[in-house]
Amino acid sequence: MLFNSIDFAIFLPLVFVLYWFVTKRTLISQNILIVLASYLFYAWWDYRFLALIILSTLVDFIVAKQLENETDNRLRKGLFLVSLLFNLGMLAFFKYFNFFIESWVEAWQLFGVTMETSTLKIILPVGISFYTFQTLSYTIDVYKNKIEPTSSFLEFAAFVSFFPQLVAGPIERASHLLPQFKKKHIFNSEFAISGLYLIIWGLFKKVVIADNCAFFVNQIFDGATGYSSMELFFGAILFGFQIYGDFSGYSDIAIGVARLFGFSLMTNFSFPYFSRDIAEFWRRWHISLSTWFRDYLYIPLGGSKGTTWQGVRNVFIVFLVSGFWHGANWTFIVWGMIHAMLFLPLLLLGRNRTYVLSTKIYGSQVPKIILTFLVITLAWIFFRADSVNIAYQYIINLFSFNSSSVYMFYKTSKMILFSTIIIFSIIILLLFEFLAIQNNKKEVQLTTYSAIFIVILICFMGVFKNPSEFIYFQF
Amino acid sequence: MSLFLKKTGFILLTFIGISSAFSFLSLWSLRQSSFYKPSFLVNSIEEKSFHYVIIGASTGLTTLNTKIIDSVLKTTGLNLAMDDTALSSQYLMLQHFLAQGKTTKFCILAPSIKDYDVKENTLSGNDYRFLPYVNTIYVSDYYKQFSCQPGRLLNNSKWLPTLGVSYYNTEIFYPSLLAILKPASRNRFDDKGNYGYPIKINDDKPITEFKTLSIALKNDYIKKIRDLCELNNIKLICYFSPINRKKIKIDSKDYKIINHSNIFKNESYFYDDIHVNYKGRKISSEYFANDFKALLK
Repeated sequence: MLFNSIDFAIFLPLVFVLYWFVTKRTLISQNILIVLASYLFYAWWDYRFLALIILSTLVDFIVAKQLENETDNRLRKGLFLVSLLFNLGMLAFFKYFNFFIESWVEAWQLFGVTMETSTLKIILPVGISFYTFQTLSYTIDVYKNKIEPTSSFLEFAAFVSFFPQLVAGPIERASHLLPQFKKKHIFNSEFAISGLYLIIWGLFKKVVIADNCAFFVNQIFDGATGYSSMELFFGAILFGFQIYGDFSGYSDIAIGVARLFGFSLMTNFSFPYFSRDIAEFWRRWHISLSTWFRDYLYIPLGGSKGTTWQGVRNVFIVFLVSGFWHGANWTFIVWGMIHAMLFLPLLLLGRNRTYVLSTKIYGSQVPKIILTFLVITLAWIFFRADSVNIAYQYIINLFSFNSSSVYMFYKTSKMILFSTIIIFSIIILLLFEFLAIQNNKKEVQLTTYSAIFIVILICFMGVFKNPSEFIYFQF
Repeated sequence: MSLFLKKTGFILLTFIGISSAFSFLSLWSLRQSSFYKPSFLVNSIEEKSFHYVIIGASTGLTTLNTKIIDSVLKTTGLNLAMDDTALSSQYLMLQHFLAQGKTTKFCILAPSIKDYDVKENTLSGNDYRFLPYVNTIYVSDYYKQFSCQPGRLLNNSKWLPTLGVSYYNTEIFYPSLLAILKPASRNRFDDKGNYGYPIKINDDKPITEFKTLSIALKNDYIKKIRDLCELNNIKLICYFSPINRKKIKIDSKDYKIINHSNIFKNESYFYDDIHVNYKGRKISSEYFANDFKALLK
């Protein structure tokens, strides 16, 4: 069920009414409703893969319970490995199996050895990368004695399948979300209103910004050789806004929907395109994933402690794995490597935490913001392209400076219309975000009237006829 | 809870109020304009009776030039064909034409060839162009028959116009802004409703072989169109426009047919496989005038 669909527009108020008016008396009935609604939400795509979520829930619940009772370190390690192998094995099979087989065959082809291959037709279950990481973090935390395992299967099932963030995050930690299923929720109007505003803002980012940008982005990336350098440049910039609008829009809607039910989810995006360097960008972009990798990969590897070489190695590993997490394609690995290379100089010079405390933007920092944005934009080309070769060719054509024509943006009246809508909506986006940053807010602040204004914009500038799927569903 | 419900209600009602006002204005503006064919027929065409009107899809729109036909036959014709429409839309166009109190002796039906045998009619890509007239019974009934989401939105626009106007915002809302500024502007057709495709740079390739396609005229809407024509003393002619390397064989004797599917023996007359270019349109129109002349008598 898509957030920007009529199905969801019916589903959400229905669950809301049931939650606050029918099941409000007991915590158990509220949690049962959440689990049932979440399973229905997921089954709307493909009910067959619901079994995977239930299986994953069962495995991690049982493993965590056993970990609680087990004192023998070897057995504890064994139990932990069961969860690790199950979750990562599931991910490897559904997401990476074909990639590994094909890469293996291609590698041998380099040495002139031709191999027969028959890859399986595996459908990627929606959201598998997200809920797998969420359940995995629970087992890791229990294994490391950071949290106590829950004794309620219902609460755990609700934590794993919570529909607002089930298919595209934010990837929640058990220590933050699980306790919220243990207490009965009392409706808080202010909190719910802030959720409503976030839903509106998220829809604006998705339906107006991302989907309008997709109109040009798809054309440019599908036929990159036929466009001028300037058109390719703007194509990459528009993809930057498309993916931001798409993914952060989804996160905003997820957080907003959770608030309607009294749940607090972590901030996933914090105005990343106002970052003044790459390190700051990674503190602002897909925060739930980058902190996941920080806590469960970077720090266990040793983090920045140890020798310089070890620090460099750890950063590379984290960025490569992060890239690979996004998809079974070399393009994502290259994208991760580019970010690692951009991040390393800051780490080596000890300047990777320059903007940790400083949020306000000053005029003198604008060139840094633009430079950071442009570098990120170039890296996005690898993220969007279908193959490394295509991305490489795109960049070659971009830097050939063959023409400054931007004809494709005003070729027809339809294109002029889309260009105008995109420019206007990006100005609105940046303006609201800038105001939030300057006021030291974590999210865009809407008032009643600005919310109405944004809804009107969604209505008359949004893409409804041919909407694009959320990009991060494929991950 | 009451604070939340009050605020949500206020936002929702204000939004519905403002967006409805914009949408009403948008549809009103299109109704006053000549931007799309349905309102062009109402606002720009003063004649009440015609010798013929062409209803059809892009093939009818771009193959038959009423100006050429009228110059040859000294008749009064009108091209009401719209691209990306099906026979069901053409039935609606005929209803709309008659609802304006206009009459014609002949109705030239020129849909896409493949549409003649479609069993299940669906909402066409450009059916939204009738949205400004959604409050008329025939348009409302037309939208009502489609259970798809756009069909339901268009039908329910008679209660809440925002539904259709926002769904088709680039096709309805923004053109309506243009229509306010320039009510006489038309969406790619001339003052008689004609439009043509340019001549592409192509080789002078002779067509030596024609593949035969059989058409049985099974679509229910042909019968509906014929019945409506009979009810209004209109003679129906089914026109088959030229197709590149194909010849249409018609397996039906229930209709008057003008079959020009294989008149061109060279690809230079075509814009693409199913549409002719300016050159092809001129000759097609002359061919049509010649055959139509006999029927006019």
